[in-house]
Amino acid sequence: MSLLFEMHDVEKSYAVGHGPRTGLFGRRAPRRLKALDGVRLDIAAGDSVALVGESGSGKSTLVRLMLGLEPPSDGRLRYRQAEFGTFDAAGRQRFAREVAFIYQNARGSMNPRLRVRDILIEPLRLYKICPPTEETARVAALLQRVGLSAALADRFPAELSGGQVRRVAVARALAGEPTTLVADESVAGLDVSVQAQLLNLLRDLCRDMGLTLIFITHDLGVASYLCQRVAVMYLGRIVEEGPTAEVMARPLHPYTRALMQAFPSFERPLKASLAGEIPSPIDLPQGCRFASRCPEVRAACRLEDPVLTRRTDADMRTVACLFPLHA
Amino acid sequence: MAPAASWRQRWWHPIRREPSALVGIAIVGLFALMALFAPWLATHDPTVQDFAVALQPPSADHWLGTDSFGQDLYSRLLYGARLALGIGFGSVALGLAGGLVVGLVAGLAGGRIEWALMRLVDAILAFPEIILAIAFIAVLGMGVDKLVYALAVSFVGPFARIVRSDVLQVKSLPFVEAAGLMGVPKLRIVLRHLLPHVTSSLLVQAGIRISTAILLESGLSFFGLGVVPPTPDWGLMIAEGRGFITMAWWISTWPGLALAVLLVGLTLMGDGLRNAFAPRSEGR
Amino acid sequence: MYADNGFPAAAPADAGSPAPVPAAAPLLTVQDLTLERGGNAVLDRVTLSLGAGRTLGLLGESGAGKSTLAMALIGLLQAPEVRMQGSMRFDGEELVGLPEKRFQTLRGRRIGLVFQDASAALDPCFTIGDQVCEPLRRHLRLDRRQAIERAVELLDSVGIPDARTRLAAYPHQLSGGMQQRVMISIALACNPELLIADEPTSALDVTIQAQIMELILTRVRALGSSAIFVLHDLALASQVCDDIAVMYAGQIVETGPAQAVLGHPLHPYTVGLRRCVVELDSVQLEPLAGTVPGAADMPAGCRFATRCPHARPRCAAERPPLMQRAGRSLACWEIDRLLAADSEGVAA
Repeated sequence: MSLLFEMHDVEKSYAVGHGPRTGLFGRRAPRRLKALDGVRLDIAAGDSVALVGESGSGKSTLVRLMLGLEPPSDGRLRYRQAEFGTFDAAGRQRFAREVAFIYQNARGSMNPRLRVRDILIEPLRLYKICPPTEETARVAALLQRVGLSAALADRFPAELSGGQVRRVAVARALAGEPTTLVADESVAGLDVSVQAQLLNLLRDLCRDMGLTLIFITHDLGVASYLCQRVAVMYLGRIVEEGPTAEVMARPLHPYTRALMQAFPSFERPLKASLAGEIPSPIDLPQGCRFASRCPEVRAACRLEDPVLTRRTDADMRTVACLFPLHA
Repeated sequence: MAPAASWRQRWWHPIRREPSALVGIAIVGLFALMALFAPWLATHDPTVQDFAVALQPPSADHWLGTDSFGQDLYSRLLYGARLALGIGFGSVALGLAGGLVVGLVAGLAGGRIEWALMRLVDAILAFPEIILAIAFIAVLGMGVDKLVYALAVSFVGPFARIVRSDVLQVKSLPFVEAAGLMGVPKLRIVLRHLLPHVTSSLLVQAGIRISTAILLESGLSFFGLGVVPPTPDWGLMIAEGRGFITMAWWISTWPGLALAVLLVGLTLMGDGLRNAFAPRSEGR
Repeated sequence: MYADNGFPAAAPADAGSPAPVPAAAPLLTVQDLTLERGGNAVLDRVTLSLGAGRTLGLLGESGAGKSTLAMALIGLLQAPEVRMQGSMRFDGEELVGLPEKRFQTLRGRRIGLVFQDASAALDPCFTIGDQVCEPLRRHLRLDRRQAIERAVELLDSVGIPDARTRLAAYPHQLSGGMQQRVMISIALACNPELLIADEPTSALDVTIQAQIMELILTRVRALGSSAIFVLHDLALASQVCDDIAVMYAGQIVETGPAQAVLGHPLHPYTVGLRRCVVELDSVQLEPLAGTVPGAADMPAGCRFATRCPHARPRCAAERPPLMQRAGRSLACWEIDRLLAADSEGVAA
């Protein structure tokens, strides 16, 4: 099966100011914010992968790198076996068409001065999907595909509700006939019923059109509903990855387990599973990044930084932990 | 950004709500009509001299009287409106175009290019407009067209600044990045997504600058550094009437009044437009 | 007398008339509260009550009016922007039409407030210490030294480490979770009888959310106070609240014990809402069809009638009163038919 995205030890750091001076004339060491610290992930065509994490996990940064918006500071990032920096103009066009992105801020991602019709026509014209005479029909078909009435084509984004705007964003993403859909928190902040509609839409679309789906979310429930695979991120690294059903049935990493326990449930009483605050990605400590909050922490954890590994060659799951649960 | 609806809703309705804008537009419109139809409205050729009828007060023949050269003041006033508005709009339009290009390049390019261009703009802004215009006239010579260029140069500065800051602001908006992600070519992004969001504040600024331009050109002509006589120009007319204030007050008065009223009209229009299109907090 | 769920006991014969107010009045009663803003009834004859020491969850989607109700309760919505009819009684005192000066003695002292966005609610120009001490000095008339000591105790009780040194910190120097803890300590500073929390954890990460909710519940129960939580997360509400009031477009559609209402919902809207919630093991979500009607298109009767799969003509025309059934209150004309169908094993 062909690999679409390959990421090996991808890192991304930003310089944020300087630390304190050492002595009167000492140099000030630059402080680095490590948004991504050694990400390993392979995504094949047809996969549906959820990137799950809280603030500071680096999931949004990872997606920006995967879209080519920023280069990695280190590590290898490939699309269809080609390194990201090496695309020629045709390759870039091809990538832009094949990989469609749905922004978290759907309304902001559309030019407020353009009508929905023009917003949807832009990719049609750009990729020469259809002759100009067919454009209106295509726009109507796209809107219907996402469950909107064709009459909305004449409206401006400001006139649409939150749910409608997100659907238009999905329609625009589909206009270029992509093979991969990348979505950043597309259902956060929506009413429960609107969210449910959008989730069903995304699920049906990916299933019917055979799209590869990469979905960023902080919500494990959404991740399990939409995606076959889940990658849990913490402070810039994927700490556990594998088929969603298995990961949730038997989490191997203590953080994954904590996330599941914190998820509000109708059956289970609410329990704070993790103490302490989410640490800052600036100046990461030595050893495991989760050691400061891990309920299972041991002495070795503070010394050695575990890498995402497969426990056995046959295993579909990977985990970055020196002492995984259920080991 | 205000929700963009139809043309009428976006442009006409806000203007309609501002009385000062409407009054200003009316005044300026009146002068524009005067200027446009000057050849038909004028009773005499504005540059024909006839010493026999010099220094005459308003009469049936010469509605506003004549000046020291026997030229008909009414006709000169009409053609003067043409010149004032022409130089005013022309220099601002030219300055706007130049400022737009400089601001766009600076805002989009960033880095050293931006730095260099902005220092150039700073240099232009360091000079008072009239001094800069005089310097250019000294180099280029006098005349209507040279006057337009001279004034335009000093306007490039403020417009470039405005455009650059707008570009920086809009550049980082999500939909611009989204367009880039889709693979829209850069030029198209600038034209389709960037420029429309930059223009509304620009036009308001342009309206305000036109009154400055007209005042400047009248001032320069008054000092004899602008248009060449016998071109009918209000500033020049005021200067020509200076020596005859006690005997023939009308020579300087009509152009002075016209200038004052036009400037007030332009200011009202500029203020009114700015108020009409100013971002207002949602409270309706 | 009270029924077990803290609500007034069911009216005996006539299912249509409101239940008589019992002798030992609950802490807060809202009776037929209608709130109009801009000509639209944003709240339509809302009726509920809250007993001492109980927690109530106001549940609903956007536009349901739950935040509006919370704001109205503490007097943040006043004439002339809004017109209120009906009654809200806090410990016997009528809140509708209450002068602002009187509200100021209630807010912070007897009613504590926690909002969603702590970074916006805390004043960035003042230190944490200033802001925690403010209600102490104003309402409890503590002097500076006493206020500081009490502030340290309060910050400690909400889990802020190094409380004494933190007094000098500014809000922006704290993380989101810490800011929310400070807000909670300010809200509970004067041991209020009622805490109103509007989406207190929506802006927080899920592991922090669990911590904060646990904290609020612990502190509230320790003080014996009542609490009203405005929430959109049904699962969270089921674990955090004793009782639930489900709102739709400004009307209360169902109230009752949390486990009953969310575990076995009866009102068609609650049923539909429950089926939309994404849980860790959701297989298929069944979204509600349609959308909330616009302000101008609201039916005179039950506002859910436009989307209800069981609606009859009577529903849109005549507003159903809150009826007591199966240990809770429901506003639905069809409820008896639905209950009968349910008990016969036919899917309602």
